[in-house]
Amino acid sequence: MKRRDAKHFRYVLFLWLAAGAAAQSPRGMDELKKSLDEVARTGSVMVDGDVCQRITTERAKEYMVKKDPRDRWIDGDNFDVNAEPYIQTKKTLMRLARLVDFPCDVNLWMPLDNIAGQVQVVIRNVNEMSQFWRFGQLHQPMPPEMKQVLASGERLAVIRRPGMVSVLAPVRNSLGDTVGLLEVVAQMTPDAHENVK
Amino acid sequence: MPVRRLAGFGLLLVSVSLQASIEAWPEYLRTDPAGEAVAADRSAAEPGARSVALRAARNGYVSFQVVARPGRRGPYSLSFEWSGKAALEATVFREWFHRGARQAGDYPDALVPVKLPYHSEFPEPDNKIADQKVQPFWVDVWVPKPAAPGVYRGVVTLRSGGGKEELPVAITVLAATVPDEDVIRMDHNSYGSSWLASGYPGLVKRTAGDFFDSVAFYRLIHAYHRIFYEHRGIFHQLGYGHAGKVGPEFAPEVEGTGRARHVASWTRFDRHYGPLLDGSAFAGTRRGPSPIPFMYLPINPEWPASFVNWGEPGYEAEFVNVVSEMERHFREKGWTHTSYEMFFNHKKRYKGFPWDGDEVRFKKDDTFFREYRRLLDKAMPAGSPVRILYRADVSWDTERQAREMAGVINMWVCGAEPLAWLPETARLLKSRNEVVWIYGGTPTVYKPSEEISMMALRPWMLGVGGFVHWLATSPGRDPWFQFSGGATGLVYPGERFGIEEPIPGIRLKLQRNVLQDLALAQELSARWSLETVQAGIVERYNHSRPADWWMNRPPMADRPVLELNNADFGPETMKIARRMAADVAAGSWRPAHDYILQLASEVAQ
Repeated sequence: MKRRDAKHFRYVLFLWLAAGAAAQSPRGMDELKKSLDEVARTGSVMVDGDVCQRITTERAKEYMVKKDPRDRWIDGDNFDVNAEPYIQTKKTLMRLARLVDFPCDVNLWMPLDNIAGQVQVVIRNVNEMSQFWRFGQLHQPMPPEMKQVLASGERLAVIRRPGMVSVLAPVRNSLGDTVGLLEVVAQMTPDAHENVK
Repeated sequence: MPVRRLAGFGLLLVSVSLQASIEAWPEYLRTDPAGEAVAADRSAAEPGARSVALRAARNGYVSFQVVARPGRRGPYSLSFEWSGKAALEATVFREWFHRGARQAGDYPDALVPVKLPYHSEFPEPDNKIADQKVQPFWVDVWVPKPAAPGVYRGVVTLRSGGGKEELPVAITVLAATVPDEDVIRMDHNSYGSSWLASGYPGLVKRTAGDFFDSVAFYRLIHAYHRIFYEHRGIFHQLGYGHAGKVGPEFAPEVEGTGRARHVASWTRFDRHYGPLLDGSAFAGTRRGPSPIPFMYLPINPEWPASFVNWGEPGYEAEFVNVVSEMERHFREKGWTHTSYEMFFNHKKRYKGFPWDGDEVRFKKDDTFFREYRRLLDKAMPAGSPVRILYRADVSWDTERQAREMAGVINMWVCGAEPLAWLPETARLLKSRNEVVWIYGGTPTVYKPSEEISMMALRPWMLGVGGFVHWLATSPGRDPWFQFSGGATGLVYPGERFGIEEPIPGIRLKLQRNVLQDLALAQELSARWSLETVQAGIVERYNHSRPADWWMNRPPMADRPVLELNNADFGPETMKIARRMAADVAAGSWRPAHDYILQLASEVAQ
């Protein structure tokens, strides 16, 4: 019962925030940043950190840190997720991206439990936009901007690539711990052919 | 006195080296800029010939190389003329020496088409080879189907400051005809189309920011299809990314959500695929117009249904609506000669979706495959002439998937190694009339030239229908002066030479010549039996027997799939599994080719 109430509350909140955040295509970087920040603020409320923590399987976590000189793909070939929490979270991220009417991705990032200073993108979305993801890497050193958001719990706008903006926002679990972060990302000039590969 | 004699000898040497000369080299023996066989082909090195004498079947190509030694720096020319009325057609290409990123020396591969007579400077200014002694040319002679059997003669002439040299050419045309149909589908894969913009920056500039919507863009895509078609191959372009983004030219434009989702426009899709599906894109080719036999559909977990609705009625509605419209569109257009592939390329590691579409390793992922079979069946009307195949690329778990996914998957692109020790699996798939291909990489230019013959011969010996070069259009950022060997490219952007199309490489030519031999061999097997013909070919090819092309089942094949890693497919396993007698060298195919032509001559008599 409690669970259903919480779900209902989230849904109403989502609709309310969605109405406020729906925006026209951004005319400049400031407007883009503002729209993305609104999505990020909504995302911090909507994305369930407990569910996110259940996405990557324990086995995959073990393999993510394995090195085998005879098999350079040992980590990727053993990467696996639990479909249910993944799908639940991905759907929320996709809905968040629809709060704006221009191409936007909401990516989920989480620090690795078993290697300090490493972070992995857990869910990416259709446009494959990110200012941080390195193609093909399961995990990577944590960028200072992410470290800052995880430590402070405050949203942060980042411009690393010209014409692209990411707003990083914390994801919390039921204990109040910041367990991950969202990268809400868009670019001034969307490229229809980029990342079709 | 001795000094004077020595000086005289030196003058003689200089004079000889300044004299023009011309030699014929077989198709499989590549020269370096100094006129020596490249290291990878050296085992087959033989002195250059002073004439060309080759046999050829009709409806096919016969190839040789002309190694020109102009002798002096400065202008030179090359021409080729037939004696009398020409029934055969010769196409000549200048071979480009690729400067390697590694210390392997300069290897020729890209073939720049030249107009005859060809006039240039020696050394070729654009290739920038220090101390170049020779310029090789590749000659393709096309023997049309109606050509009368007999001997056709011509002459290649080199003119330079070092004099004039001639190379007589005699092509004996046999009564045999290479069948139009291939016995192996030689597939050349690629991803998206942004690589076209990188390969043709001049064209992008000329289309003033509108490249991807320009006539030139679609013409270029069709040119890639054409070059592979002319080389007895096919071309695949996957039209979506790992998280489901679809390139606008790969899918009809859709609008609406849930039950309202429908196709809003076919404009771009039809511009792209229309000429390929009705065959008109191939008008004017030597093989003639013909619809492409296979193509990827843009279907992925995010298209045409949005994953936001996965597992809900809306997902099914969106999928079924749009796929049904596609089926109807193809049917109404008469595009029913192509096998359309529903193929999932994503992997969990790329973080777009929660299951592996490609190279499945986790059995639980089968659930998603089964659901898409259900959706596809729902979208397709009974008795439709439109053929949509459900393709899966498999390696880790081939044996189990083949068994358990009966009725779900009906096109299998298998890793060659597991399939080669799974003869029962191969038989099972074939007994269900499913499409079975194998896939692999492409030998670099630094390998023996005819290693590429294996890409055609191996599937034929395993009795499967095709081979996929997993990436065939990406020769690297700078294939001209920083070449990494071409493991992912069999063609090159022609823009550097003023050609707004791809140009072929030597490996593509060699592969084509093997494919046409195999098409002929398959036809000949009607008289001698397939087993006899295959045995005769592989015995001459690498002293093997047909049984050697199957492997012993290694112990690792019986371990649970999640305990395996890539090292289990490495050299140690192959050592246990492989029975193949000998490796392939430059020239390995020649005795097999001669054998096939010999059989063909006997049939014709």
